[in-house]
Amino acid sequence: MATTLKEREVVVVGGGLSAGLIARRLVPLGRDVLVVERGAPRSGSESQLPSQRDELRWGIHRGLVQRENVETYTLRHNPDEAALPMRRLLSFLPGFGVGGGASHWNGQTWRFQTTDYVLRSHLEQRYGKAAVPSGMTVQDWGIRYEDLEPHYTLFEKLFGISGKAGNIKGEKQEGGNQFEPWRSEEFPLPPLEPSEAGIIFKSAAEKLGYKPFPMPAANASRAYSNPDGMKLGGCQYCGHCERFVCEANAKASPNLLLFPLVVGNPNFELRTHAEVFLINYDKAGRRVTGVTYIDTQTGEEFTQPATTVVLGSYVLSNTRLLLLSSIGEPYDPKTGKGAVGKNYCYQTVSNVSVFFEDRYINPFMGTGAYGMVIDEFNNDHFDHSALGFFGGAFINATITNGRPITARALPPGTPRWGSAWKAANAKWYLRSFNISCHGTSYSHRNNYMDLDPDYRDAYGRPLLRITFDFPENDIKMSDYVTQKAHEIAKASGASIVGTPAPRRGPYDARIYQSTHNTGGTIMGTDRATSVVSPHLQSWDAQNLFITGASVFPQNSGYNPTGPVGALGLRLADDLVSYLERPRFL
Amino acid sequence: MNNENEKEPNFGRRKFLKGAGVAAVSLPAIVASQNGEAAHPAPLTHLAQAQSPAPTPPQAATPTVPTSAGYQILSLDEAAFTEALVDHMWPKDQLSPSGTELGIATFIDRQLAGAFGQGDRLYLQGPFRKGKPQHGYQLALTPAQYYSSGISGASAACQKRFGQSFEKIAAGDREQFLQDLAGGKVKEGAVDLAGWFNGLVYPLFVQGAFADPIYGGNRDKVAWKMIGYPGLPAVYKQDVVRFRGMPHPRSTNPQSIQDLS
Repeated sequence: MATTLKEREVVVVGGGLSAGLIARRLVPLGRDVLVVERGAPRSGSESQLPSQRDELRWGIHRGLVQRENVETYTLRHNPDEAALPMRRLLSFLPGFGVGGGASHWNGQTWRFQTTDYVLRSHLEQRYGKAAVPSGMTVQDWGIRYEDLEPHYTLFEKLFGISGKAGNIKGEKQEGGNQFEPWRSEEFPLPPLEPSEAGIIFKSAAEKLGYKPFPMPAANASRAYSNPDGMKLGGCQYCGHCERFVCEANAKASPNLLLFPLVVGNPNFELRTHAEVFLINYDKAGRRVTGVTYIDTQTGEEFTQPATTVVLGSYVLSNTRLLLLSSIGEPYDPKTGKGAVGKNYCYQTVSNVSVFFEDRYINPFMGTGAYGMVIDEFNNDHFDHSALGFFGGAFINATITNGRPITARALPPGTPRWGSAWKAANAKWYLRSFNISCHGTSYSHRNNYMDLDPDYRDAYGRPLLRITFDFPENDIKMSDYVTQKAHEIAKASGASIVGTPAPRRGPYDARIYQSTHNTGGTIMGTDRATSVVSPHLQSWDAQNLFITGASVFPQNSGYNPTGPVGALGLRLADDLVSYLERPRFL
Repeated sequence: MNNENEKEPNFGRRKFLKGAGVAAVSLPAIVASQNGEAAHPAPLTHLAQAQSPAPTPPQAATPTVPTSAGYQILSLDEAAFTEALVDHMWPKDQLSPSGTELGIATFIDRQLAGAFGQGDRLYLQGPFRKGKPQHGYQLALTPAQYYSSGISGASAACQKRFGQSFEKIAAGDREQFLQDLAGGKVKEGAVDLAGWFNGLVYPLFVQGAFADPIYGGNRDKVAWKMIGYPGLPAVYKQDVVRFRGMPHPRSTNPQSIQDLS
């Protein structure tokens, strides 16, 4: 039997980026905020030399990531198959512990395009209603870019994003992204130093008439103090970002920039080792009353009453908690009815390798967003009339790392072992890089999440079942953009160009692609087709708010952290207003 | 020169190093040699001469991990198979000593005996069903049990085909056998041997070669030296400009966790 604790004002589930942004806003106003986090505080070994630089521990064995033996996901490729558990989580890396995924991310920080928020309206308007395939369930968000712009600006300032503007209030800026949505200000920090790979990519892209620009980075190009007075060191280009906690305090994360602001305040508590398994729901009253969790150190159950609950855990956990708590109607792909679990999307990535006899790439001098990018073939930046697909990708040369177990590209035809394989590693490790496509993932009627009927977590609760494969639209998109990347590779002067590898199904759970899972608790203006309102308020419980990439109705060609940050800041403002006068916003 | 490190004493590496009490002698020397030098380009040979030998601690002259005198979990037959396998896949040649000399067999043994091999993190609840390859590993075995099952099947197949165990057959036969194993053409015993080789053995082999030597493989950082990976401490704020497009002096003189401990 669960012990019932004293009621708290705002309980946030999940101690990651969203929780940090909300606490930062509410705690100084005197609001009582409790963040419940399933993982532990960081121990130190993940961020100290020399143990931080251990590829086997953090990179291969994924020491900072959700443990599969406690909770994993099941996978099937369409609704007619039986799902099997991902017994190891290899293709994406859900965060675990204070800071969540935003403590072991790469730092690639974008604003979603203006068309992303109105995707269905935009595509129907530009290409006609009949042009959007019937299985493609893309939706509008119910907000516009203008609603998020100030929050993007603040998020970039708080996180000290390094970059070069391409469009300040409609004025195009030389050297920046010519396709970016307008921004009110320049980036707070100048771009990172270009890499040798970036210089090669830039020259090849310019030869083909494109406008390359440095990737926006949360790896600080120099020491920085944000508007809250929180500080970042300058990036050391150590090549240990994704899967690692930054050793130099140079990668923006909630642990560095958000939680230290509020920890120690009497009206703030960060409660770790607290695994929430239920949001307590008064269906008749259309309200939530709190959460129930297990103290993972003692096994004891606690019910934590709350006047307001914010679900700010990972995409997959947000969706699963709603399903476990019977809040809202689960999505059914047969009827198209229900919205919880709907529009699960991912990221459609691909690449081509290039090898240079005479150029030192030195991939070990890298950082998570150390990229040169073109945006000509992303989203709807090009005419799709005759192409047979929608969406696109940014194409980039990004030296995230040269960690030797995994970061060794080899030319086609190289044997997998033996002296020739050794010699190829010796020859090409320092002299190769990937040109990659980071592509859209558009929702499809058959791609969704629900509770698995067979498999359970360590606490006996059903696992989340993911039904997903790359839709035909995204396969065609990947073919197209990978061909464009191949053209850049051929123009780069490379001694050898690898075989282009466009994304193909079935979705392969053995291969890391990105931790850019989206959807499941999507936002919108129609309660029949969305889970939360444009203000991220549950249609089924007025005092429940849900945030994170789980509210994206489909995924853009950009990385999701920028909009997750902007949505979190906007929700924080909305909560200020809501707590003053609780109502449907 | 844009010497950012000097401006950020509170947030640079030094605070961490000082706070942790790590490598009080060797580390600051490395930091100084990397960040304290003038940034104007000097001939590469000078830099290499100036930097390479300085920070090497005395114990690095001896092997970083004691040479293994035995195995924790592998049986004699399994050890013989494993040593023959890693010596074939990582042969002694002009680039390096053999896989066994590199410690790859020791690495595999230690991994199987340790947390990974005993199924740490692995979701091992049933029901157990056969999936597509894209579902990933679906057996009820721990990696250590799986390794044993696979060796047993592969060894039986080898006996049938060549009349001898894997470590006794000729190099050409070993090559053909491994190609067939990886390509799904060897079927023997309970487990799918292609899945076993590609999903368990090959990754362990690569990790044993390239992981930090603290785990028993990559002895003396041989594989890092071979490819030019400089290892630790990896503070390149100045170097991204100074050595952009040029050989980095540390590529020939990598440092490992033990060197900085």
